[in-house]
Amino acid sequence: MVENYAILPCNGLDKCAGVISRELAIRLCENAKNEIICPVYYRVAEAKYNKIAGGHSLLVIDGCQTRCASKLAAEKNLKISQKLTITEEAKNHNIELKSNLRLLENENALIEIILSDLNNAQDQGRRSSVETSSLINFEYETYQNSKFIFRVPKNPEVYFNENDCWACVVGNRARIGVTDFVQQNLSDILYFTPPEIDAEIDQFGEVGEIESSKSVFELISPVSGKVISINETLVQKPELINENPYELGWFAEIGLTDFESDKELLIGFDKYFEIMKTKVEEING
Amino acid sequence: MSVFKVGVLSCSGEECLGGTISRLATRKVLEELKVVETVTLCLPLYLAGGKEERNFAKVFPTISVDGCDKLCAKRSTEKYSGKISGFIDVSKIIGSENALNTTIVRNKDLTDEHLQMVDKVAGEIVKMIGSISSDSFSEKSFRGCSCGNE
Repeated sequence: MVENYAILPCNGLDKCAGVISRELAIRLCENAKNEIICPVYYRVAEAKYNKIAGGHSLLVIDGCQTRCASKLAAEKNLKISQKLTITEEAKNHNIELKSNLRLLENENALIEIILSDLNNAQDQGRRSSVETSSLINFEYETYQNSKFIFRVPKNPEVYFNENDCWACVVGNRARIGVTDFVQQNLSDILYFTPPEIDAEIDQFGEVGEIESSKSVFELISPVSGKVISINETLVQKPELINENPYELGWFAEIGLTDFESDKELLIGFDKYFEIMKTKVEEING
Repeated sequence: MSVFKVGVLSCSGEECLGGTISRLATRKVLEELKVVETVTLCLPLYLAGGKEERNFAKVFPTISVDGCDKLCAKRSTEKYSGKISGFIDVSKIIGSENALNTTIVRNKDLTDEHLQMVDKVAGEIVKMIGSISSDSFSEKSFRGCSCGNE
């Protein structure tokens, strides 16, 4: 199911495709946590819709090639995650749209096809996210103590909690994992137990665990939300966490529900780096 | 002989029932009640800078149909095309409580009560179109044509 999207339809009323864009947007909001952005009222209530657009991935649905909804998104500097144009979809699926504004058999069939395509694409996104590389290009600061080297990402998108777990936040999703401090202290990691897909996670709730010959470590989630994918490769190759806990050894991806609140209890690179150095010095002297 | 045409510019609102009723009532007028005399103007396109829509409203008599007293359609029309020939505030016809109901209603879920509201608003639109005489068309028409090239 397509979830956690802000949906900006063109809502046009002079062509059937605009009417379809509206119907599609409503359908996407019926049984899922999606929100519609009204393309007209957006020009009046900008703050309200900026907040909705900022907290969700944005799906833009244009009716025709005039692309009013895309133009509005560009005008408001919104980052579009996905967009589609009804007339193009109709052409791709060999469906002829009528000139009137009533949704008849063809139009309703197209809506069902697009809904199905969107859902399949998101499911594939979940599966393929395991193979995708990093969400961002990590840049690191390093700290060396004795023979141990600790890397910490200094990108502003990466947040930490004091339990040595990180969250890389892009749009309305976050990838989470443990820091170098954890993997260095655990030494060779032998087992990874992932969280359940679709599990609802509280901030600071447990979200998977790893085990080495020395001890077990439970990842304390820096963010709240729903588990939308897991790093299945780690089940077979938990050693990837030792190799690189950020780009290869991430645990899961979380669909965020209230990151603005979560953020208040998280720390950025500067603070975490100092905390980590203190911890390392306390352990290693 | 000039064809008398009235532009109807409806709220495309998704915030409340008033927007839905205004869309449906406008469509009923365009598709059933005043097929020959009316032209729909797409508000999102109009706002996005649609030249043809804006020029039509400058040249031809145009009425706005708004779902609530925010009057997005009326205000936009006046901003970009000048004085409008008339406006309808759906909340004044079906009551603010109904118009501001925030539950989004799909077409298939419309109740008899909703359809009665649509009929009532459509009736008001038809009345307004009837009250716009061909004189007002003549008055406006000398200002240019709707091609956008004046």
